[in-house]
Amino acid sequence: MRDDPNAERHRRRVLAGALAAAALGLTGRAARAQPASVDLPVANGRRKLVAYPEKRPLIVLTSRPPQLETPFAVFDEGLLTPNDAFFVRYHHAGIPTAIDADQHVIRIGGNALAKPYELTMADLRTQFTAVELVAVNQCSGNGRALFSPRVTGGQLTNGAMGNARWLGVPLRQVLARAEPRETARQVAFNGLDTPVLPGGANFVKSLDMAHAMDGEVMLAYRMNGADLPMLNGYPVRLVVPGFYGTYWVKHLSDIQVIDHDLESFWMKPAYRVPDNDCACVEPGTVPAATRPIGRFNVRSFITSLGDQARIAAGKPTEVRGIAFDGGQGIREVAFSADGGQSWREAVLGEDLGRYSFRPFTFGFTPVKGVNDLRVRAWNRSGQSQPMEALWQPAGYMRNVVESVKVLAI
Amino acid sequence: MRRAARLRRAMPGALLALALLCLPGVKAWAEGGVRTIVLPPDGVELRPSSLPGYAKAHDHCVACHSAEYFQYQPPTAPRGYWEAMVKRMRLVFKAPVDDADITDLVDYFVRTYGAEQPK
Repeated sequence: MRDDPNAERHRRRVLAGALAAAALGLTGRAARAQPASVDLPVANGRRKLVAYPEKRPLIVLTSRPPQLETPFAVFDEGLLTPNDAFFVRYHHAGIPTAIDADQHVIRIGGNALAKPYELTMADLRTQFTAVELVAVNQCSGNGRALFSPRVTGGQLTNGAMGNARWLGVPLRQVLARAEPRETARQVAFNGLDTPVLPGGANFVKSLDMAHAMDGEVMLAYRMNGADLPMLNGYPVRLVVPGFYGTYWVKHLSDIQVIDHDLESFWMKPAYRVPDNDCACVEPGTVPAATRPIGRFNVRSFITSLGDQARIAAGKPTEVRGIAFDGGQGIREVAFSADGGQSWREAVLGEDLGRYSFRPFTFGFTPVKGVNDLRVRAWNRSGQSQPMEALWQPAGYMRNVVESVKVLAI
Repeated sequence: MRRAARLRRAMPGALLALALLCLPGVKAWAEGGVRTIVLPPDGVELRPSSLPGYAKAHDHCVACHSAEYFQYQPPTAPRGYWEAMVKRMRLVFKAPVDDADITDLVDYFVRTYGAEQPK
């Protein structure tokens, strides 16, 4: 049992079976027959690694519907998260398994627009001006399993995030054609996934009208230069840069411009955070008031070294990592090699835009024994990460300065 | 899927069908404009129990979603959590459970996966 709030994904010890899965592109059948597994660094943390369609072996949070976490080592492969490693999160087991994109239609309607219409994929690709944007998608509950005290819900470590180059059409263009009325207050989004039982609360999400019209929210039909994987929302999904993944509706099929705030289970009571500056409460308590979850806070991670990694003492070592926030952009990353007692500045790398992962590097010379590495980022508004983890009952928005303890020999 | 498309160009149709069947890992394909995937089976089963809630969990819970939803919760998850979830499934997702079912289900979950597991 690990109650240490700084416990990190790196404590996952990939079991022997996982090595078999590493070669799964060629040995999928054998690996399925004898599933590989991984031990996440939490109590009851053993998970299977399974290759779902169009995916490499990922950490299975749930199999039906599929909820798949990206093994953290993937984030050291490159700044963009490969499509076949990108995390998957569904809410209903009624997910589409066959889609004819040529027949797919997005209905645009609602009581606060003048001209409802239907949009085919061909229309979307040819009748608007497409834009490209690199943006992180992150699950609201990314890192929930690391909360201390533990909270219930999907027990994810920090792999429910990914960074991709999205190509699509700004929602503003699509909505403008429908001529929204002055009464427009919110825009509601639905996709092809459905609850299993009739009458179940459908997964519908909404954004305020001004946000929907900001020119950045987009209907994306390409991801890292390819079609979206089916499990990431083929043929088109909403991309809401800087906002948690709950708003990034997959298999987008219906857009409603409405004159009121959407009241669905998935807007309230689900996906709410404490309505205060830290979005946090004393552990074990209930917030007095809540608001819908919104923008990402600031996060940073070491990617090139895992917890309990063994390295050579006395040998200068370069460390790589990534940082991101809700869209201000990363201004600075500091690192500590002594558990947070002293800090120095890391070197920022390539800038793919303010919604992207920002890479950084730093060098240090490990001393013999345990070296407690930490990184802490600031965005351009000066917001940063807490040294001690904040807590909230739903387990959203974890962004503590994480600790990676490596052993130098 | 691009892999399938490459294969299609590379070999005659009859061979393609055979190759798709034999190629492990290829579980998505396109026919005409249709993209199709086949999902793997559930990864875990409900933990067997002599408690009456076990059979009811088969009928009322795993009928709609897989058992990791129970199995991966923190072992500290208290009775109140399981009760809230079962009631949410009835109220919000229309799970056809009556009050007696709720009692049995909560008892099975908390004693099998939650804070009241035998030490």
